[in-house]
Amino acid sequence: MARLRLKNILDKKNDNAALIISFIEQLKANIYVEDEHGKVLLGNANGANNFETPIKLEEEIIGWVKGDDKTSVIGSLLDLLIQKEYERKKLGNEVLTLYQEVNLIFNFSEKLAETIDPFSIAAITLDEGRHLIKFDSGIIVLWDNHAKQLQILALSGEVLFNQEKLNAHVNLLHDISLSGQSEIMGDMSALKEAGIIIPEVQSLIYAALKVKHRVMGAIILASNEAIQYSAADLKFLVTLALQSSSAIESALLYEKNIKEAKEKEEAMRRIFEITNKFVPYEFIGSLGRNAITDVRLGDQIEKIVTVLFSDIRDYTTLAEQMTPEENFRFISSFNEMIGPIIRGHKGFINQYLGDAIMAVFPDNAADALAAAVQMQLAVEEFNQKRISKNLSPIQIGIGMHTGPLIMGITGDSERLDATTIADSVNTASRLESLTKYYKASIIFSESTLQQMLYPETFHIRYLGMVQLKGKHLPVSIYECFNGNSLTEIEKKKNTLQHFNEAMLHYHNKSFASASEGFQYVLEINPHDHTAKFFLDNTIRFINSGVPENWSGVEEMSRK
Amino acid sequence: MAQKILIVDDEAHIRMLIEQTLEELEDEDVEFLTADNGETALELIRNELPNLVFLDVMMPKMNGMEVCRRVKKELGLDHVFIIILTAKGQELDRQKGQEVGANLYMTKPFDPEVILNKAREVLGL
Repeated sequence: MARLRLKNILDKKNDNAALIISFIEQLKANIYVEDEHGKVLLGNANGANNFETPIKLEEEIIGWVKGDDKTSVIGSLLDLLIQKEYERKKLGNEVLTLYQEVNLIFNFSEKLAETIDPFSIAAITLDEGRHLIKFDSGIIVLWDNHAKQLQILALSGEVLFNQEKLNAHVNLLHDISLSGQSEIMGDMSALKEAGIIIPEVQSLIYAALKVKHRVMGAIILASNEAIQYSAADLKFLVTLALQSSSAIESALLYEKNIKEAKEKEEAMRRIFEITNKFVPYEFIGSLGRNAITDVRLGDQIEKIVTVLFSDIRDYTTLAEQMTPEENFRFISSFNEMIGPIIRGHKGFINQYLGDAIMAVFPDNAADALAAAVQMQLAVEEFNQKRISKNLSPIQIGIGMHTGPLIMGITGDSERLDATTIADSVNTASRLESLTKYYKASIIFSESTLQQMLYPETFHIRYLGMVQLKGKHLPVSIYECFNGNSLTEIEKKKNTLQHFNEAMLHYHNKSFASASEGFQYVLEINPHDHTAKFFLDNTIRFINSGVPENWSGVEEMSRK
Repeated sequence: MAQKILIVDDEAHIRMLIEQTLEELEDEDVEFLTADNGETALELIRNELPNLVFLDVMMPKMNGMEVCRRVKKELGLDHVFIIILTAKGQELDRQKGQEVGANLYMTKPFDPEVILNKAREVLGL
């Protein structure tokens, strides 16, 4: 508070000066007023100064009334006015201090509202505290009751605290602030002996950080000057601590919630990832759903797709030589090899059935055929490794058929399964079993060829018609030999025309010509087992005659 | 000549607070004037030509915005530095303050230190 001067009262454009002047006039007093330095503030110093009265404020002379015998009256009046002004100023000053406090708490709350980080909150608390409380170093500690450890949230100013010693002598803090107390500390010897504060510290004030009745930590302010901390300082510090602790509590809760939410999100993501592996997204997507959580019992869609069926030939024989565990490992490594090929050609695996795989290609039959070819090549490579380990090579047969397929969610309210229901699946499976019979590695139906874009990019042979079990109409089937070895492909290409002609003769029951054709093919390519299959049939028909109702369609009584 | 600061607010305690905040300027020959309504404020500005005016917005008779508009737009007293003081939360007034030509816009509760520094800056002290 600035010092009050006589000048302020008499100079001011307030009513004091006017009142004094009118008083002097009415009393017909011959006086003047001067300040403590002799400067005349009111009236004229005209020599008549027989009397003088000092004007005092708080026992201090701040001016004089000089002149005739009326000086004492005017002096008393001035004393009164000064006293009144002084009281006013003092009150104003107190109000201003309170106002500053309110403003500070207001700003503090505003800043707290903007942060959700406990460290920032602690730093802001020390920063704001500095506006009203004098200190050289401040520290805010948090007591982790779980880990039985102190965490330092903020440290500011000079190095008056020793962080390591704080944690080493937590018991001392438990005696003071962590017990929930707040005080101006008189005896700091224990803290100094423990090395928590340096010996130069002369003043210390602290407040507990509390939420409800739980003590979370403490805010401690220290100074290396002898400061007489007042009750007002302590009250202010406690207010700061209260605000700060609830903000820190919220921030910690927020952190915890965020962490938990992230963990849940991560768990959800993993579940989603894994369910996607069990039921491919393509399947879910085809049903018009975004996620597996959206599917409902009875969801279904019918689509024209190409179904690919692959099976390891003579797997039972192969399996007999392995332990169940070896078996499982073998199938797993085989599936690991095939899966990416299917997906790489816009297909998805609908089901693993032991050594068999059922895949669906929703876009185009050409995708399925390209995948089938690559699968055969992959098996070839797989076999190289097996041979190098003295293991017998494996063979797979692939059958494909294009037709309507219903994909849907079936089961009951407690147990759901993604399933495909279609005749196409049976047909593809039957065509796969024909591969063994016809000695062809990939066989597909007429409908697959019909849908196929750019069939000319594949090497394809017509294999006649076949009557599948349980079917009314015979099906035309084709072989693709892109998956054969390069020399095999070359030979099949070179004999393709003869093979096709022989097939035509065969169909027309011109078995002699057919036989010639197949023999020619076999002379050039003795490994063409398909040609051998038809040659054997031809010879059988020549020798034993053709059944009466034979229409060129092979009857497939076996699956 | 002494510099003058006019404090305009209908609330006596705010006037006292601002005066108290700026009290040390008294020693540097700064004179304080106060008004508790817009009309008196306008009258004082016209007659006393203060260097700096702290002007509240919500006041009887004539509000602070109108006082400012008249001083700046009608009387053309560009050299009178006007600080509009308004309650926090009424930030919409900021734009209005600019429109009526206020030099600065501050909110209540104010930070005494900021007010004092600003006054010193405006008065060149």
